[in-house]
Amino acid sequence: MNFRIAYIIARDEWRYWLRSRLSVAALVAASILIVAALISTITQVQTERTTRENFQAEAINTFESQPARHPHRMIHYGHYVFRTPAPLSVIDLGVDAAAGTVMFLEGHRQNSAVFTPNYSSANAGQLAELSPAFAYQVLTPLLLIILGFASISRERESATETLLYSISVAPLELWMGKIIALSGAALMSLLPLSLGLGLAISAGEHAGVAAYMLSGYALYLLTWVFIITAVSSSCQASSTALTLLLAGWIFFCIVISPVASGIASTGGAYEGKVVSDIAVQQALRGSGDGHNEADPAFDQFKMQLLQQYNVESIESLPINIRGMISKNAEEKQTQILNRFSDRRMEAARTQSRIVYWFGLLSPALALKNFSMNVAGTSLSEYQRFQHQAENVRFDFVQRLNNLHAEQLSYSDDINRSKDHQSEQRTRISPVHWKMLQPVAHHEDNEQERVSESLPHFIMLFFWCVFGAIWSVTRATRGAANAA
Amino acid sequence: MTKSLVTASKLCVERGNRRVLDNISFTINKGDIFALLGGNGAGKSTTLLTFLGFVKPSSGEAIINGIKVEEDIQAARGQIAYLPESANLYAHLSAYENIEYFLSLAQISRSSQEISLSLDDVKLAPKMRIEPLSSYSKGMRQKVAIALAMLRRSPLLLLDEPTSGLDPVAIDEFNTILKALADAGTTIFMVTHDVYGACEIAKRVGLLQQGKMASVFEAVGETKISAEAVHQAFRQSQPS
Amino acid sequence: MLHELRRELNHALKEPALRWLVLIAFSLSTIALLIGALTISHQKDMVLRLEAAVTAERLLTIKDKTDPGDIAYNLFHLTFDPPTDLAFMALGQRNERPWLHRLRMLALEGQIHETNDSNPEILILGQLDFTFFLSVLVPLIIISLLFDIEGRERREGRYELICAASPLGSRVFHIRAAVKSLLLTAAIILPFIAAAISNNLTILAFLSVLGLIFFQIVLWVIFCRIVTCIIPEAVTAALSLVTLWLLLTVLTPIIGKTAVENSLPVPNGGTILLTQRETVNAAWDLPKETTMDAFIHIYPEWKAQATINRPFEWKWYYAFQEMGDQAAQPKSWALYQGMTDRHEAMALVALLSPALFIERAMTELAGTDVLQHLRYVRCARAFHADLRHFYYPYLFNEKAMSENDLAQLPEFEPCAI
Repeated sequence: MNFRIAYIIARDEWRYWLRSRLSVAALVAASILIVAALISTITQVQTERTTRENFQAEAINTFESQPARHPHRMIHYGHYVFRTPAPLSVIDLGVDAAAGTVMFLEGHRQNSAVFTPNYSSANAGQLAELSPAFAYQVLTPLLLIILGFASISRERESATETLLYSISVAPLELWMGKIIALSGAALMSLLPLSLGLGLAISAGEHAGVAAYMLSGYALYLLTWVFIITAVSSSCQASSTALTLLLAGWIFFCIVISPVASGIASTGGAYEGKVVSDIAVQQALRGSGDGHNEADPAFDQFKMQLLQQYNVESIESLPINIRGMISKNAEEKQTQILNRFSDRRMEAARTQSRIVYWFGLLSPALALKNFSMNVAGTSLSEYQRFQHQAENVRFDFVQRLNNLHAEQLSYSDDINRSKDHQSEQRTRISPVHWKMLQPVAHHEDNEQERVSESLPHFIMLFFWCVFGAIWSVTRATRGAANAA
Repeated sequence: MTKSLVTASKLCVERGNRRVLDNISFTINKGDIFALLGGNGAGKSTTLLTFLGFVKPSSGEAIINGIKVEEDIQAARGQIAYLPESANLYAHLSAYENIEYFLSLAQISRSSQEISLSLDDVKLAPKMRIEPLSSYSKGMRQKVAIALAMLRRSPLLLLDEPTSGLDPVAIDEFNTILKALADAGTTIFMVTHDVYGACEIAKRVGLLQQGKMASVFEAVGETKISAEAVHQAFRQSQPS
Repeated sequence: MLHELRRELNHALKEPALRWLVLIAFSLSTIALLIGALTISHQKDMVLRLEAAVTAERLLTIKDKTDPGDIAYNLFHLTFDPPTDLAFMALGQRNERPWLHRLRMLALEGQIHETNDSNPEILILGQLDFTFFLSVLVPLIIISLLFDIEGRERREGRYELICAASPLGSRVFHIRAAVKSLLLTAAIILPFIAAAISNNLTILAFLSVLGLIFFQIVLWVIFCRIVTCIIPEAVTAALSLVTLWLLLTVLTPIIGKTAVENSLPVPNGGTILLTQRETVNAAWDLPKETTMDAFIHIYPEWKAQATINRPFEWKWYYAFQEMGDQAAQPKSWALYQGMTDRHEAMALVALLSPALFIERAMTELAGTDVLQHLRYVRCARAFHADLRHFYYPYLFNEKAMSENDLAQLPEFEPCAI
């Protein structure tokens, strides 16, 4: 193969686009859309980030500036964590719109993350999403189709194909020329994406992860380039090629996603939190009420404590039994709560695994899955947030229980409703309230994100290889048809 | 002494069970115009495509300038300038751009002066040369195609129905150009329906009938082939 | 005329492309209805199971209990928004916004915003219900069916031949388009009729949906005819139609949504939660009289029993729960008002986007839009109020509850549309 010839053909293809009003219009419209999507998503993410970070700071601040009080009151006062957008969400918002933004953390309970952005958003239908990810997954393939559907069939219709072969241009050179031309357009369309990625890097994202994301998108667009040239060289008429390509686009980019979601969700594996809460309630029955030291569920624990400190009565324990019981109860409860929430999360992941396999039916879905996972806007990242929130919750609750056990005397604690002096002594100083752990940043789990997105990347890679093989076979076979 | 440039020797082409070409043999001498006539489906285009290497013969050989097409398609194609039926060059390009483009693909370099000269030769109006081909008449497009073929300076010019769809004036102009080319030494092998045009310019005319070479007419000296005789033979060759 | 139609019908049925498209339309229509039906039956089934589970829980919870404060603290009640008969055709945003809550008598603002924690990855993929099929996919099927009617005849050089042969002249192509559209309509409607019968749809609902189907088909057939008449070349016509589809189905809604959301801001959920926590929690440290004074300002009938003597009394506890709600509620109502305003403002955008218009009309008919969610929220809030008003006499009179009393507990009744 002579690449110089391929390049000459590609250059002529570009010249053809520039002289065709349709192609110019499509190029201009697509560029405007991609840039608009990028700008609007960047602004949206910035606003959301500022809002949520301000709320987070306010939540921490209010907690830490609480007056002196009984530590158990602080357990019920609780704390809030806000889910902040990942740096790469300027490219792919992923599940953000459908995932809760704030979670209330308190003792003895696990609450759900509430107020999804979609909750109060204006409904504009399922396709109304203007993010760079959507622009690349759905709109750019359409641009490539418009530019490339006739790339080879046009030569056939005007008999220039045989003319080219007669002057010793090999079919593969013609094919390569068209591939270079279309890939050029794809590459150019990736410029705004690179800009967005650059921005994400400056916001703390790892450069390697950003490059990895870019390569996923490039692979996806290249797959389309192959598919388009394959179809164009299989068809005698450009109109047939266009019809087939549009049908493919509708199938890959519009139909498969909701079908996958429908099949994954009607499988019935995932029940949601309300069902699980009832099961939790049943499982918790009899595990003991941590507020009530007389609950027989704690008898054994009390015996253990007495033995451990080698004392006769709970009054003579060096620590406050109420705090210890509260701590012990929280631990047992949390184990049960985690068992159910783990089960729930696993069921959700099962659904997402079903969606993963649907990526075999659509490169667009494979890219969507890849993109969300690498951006840190996927279900996995959301669940990591939920886990982290739970860790923050358990951590501050147990710290407060420790304070309860170590800082408060048992006699004050039991007399506090009767005796004002005791009550005052059970209020511990606010210096202790500086105990909240922060929620880890998205940038810190790049290894998880890369490994979670790898299967999707491999699937994309297979799509690309499949497209390339199909395209080459059609191109060489198409040459035989030309004569 | 004239040497043969093109030789078809016992060419047979099969499509499925059907013999499209059946034992065709002929030679074309350097600088001659050879016209292949025949009814629809007689095998004219197949013969042409066999020489281009698009169709593989089941037996026999197609030889151009000593090169067996089957053995080295690229080298054989290097000898040929080919003009497909109703040559559609690129409608979005001008005459100059089309020629430049195809020449660069064929890896031939010609100065813009040479291109202008060849466009002069085919008598394409200078003001049209920078307009895109979409605004050309069919005859004008054919002129660009022939100018391109001339610029390749190939020893052999292969033409597929070059005059179909042209008006009588354009046909006359076109034939004059071909004649001049042949006089300058280019060998021309054309497939056509136009009995009178072919007889006007061709040194030899072959008549194909259902894949077989029915008869060959040859102009002797300055005497042209008798169109009437060819026409007569043509009519007889058609199954009634 | 009938003769013309029959001829064109026979002609059309011989086209493989048409047969494929009709088959695709039929299968997609069927799949969409099936996915919708499965989702809704799953939801109905879940409500039944939850009702049973909550009832069973209740018996265990109130066993041997007589203290109204204790009972009210522990007893959960299921509130839900049952899917309507038509919901299977338009799943709408049922999964996006909570449609069931387990409520108890604590501060409502802390409970009403809880979610069912649906899998967000499934939610963002969208759902292939009949509404999506009708609003988004049907236009694309119509475009592929009609863009090449005249174009193909022109390309293959038969256009003039056909016009000359038919006494109708070029109008014969209108008949061709009509026949194809009718075949497509049949493929879309047949599964719908079957689904309507098996789901016992009311005649009114049936006719309304039928009207929307016809509206969408006729509209896009007209678009296709106009565009193919203006642009004779099939490829350009097809691309123009797809661009029109993109403009009406994707871009107009996006632009409209962005404009509406920017011009009508809503309170952030974070504010509601923080306010509610501050007001409820602050009450623990407030003098009890402050809470009770505010309370009897609204409930003067309990003035005589409003003095709190012990450090902890249930009536004080529930009073400050309600007072906390009162403080946070205006923010919630502002949020609901904002959601309603946004929904109403989008009606204007829907006038420019047939897809959005169909989606809104269908979800409104099916009771799966934001208005129905807010209706449910109001209903759940009313039930919570009933609950409070039921318990207050027991709490303030410090009266133990008998089994008879508990039998009088208010039951949640779902609100109809």
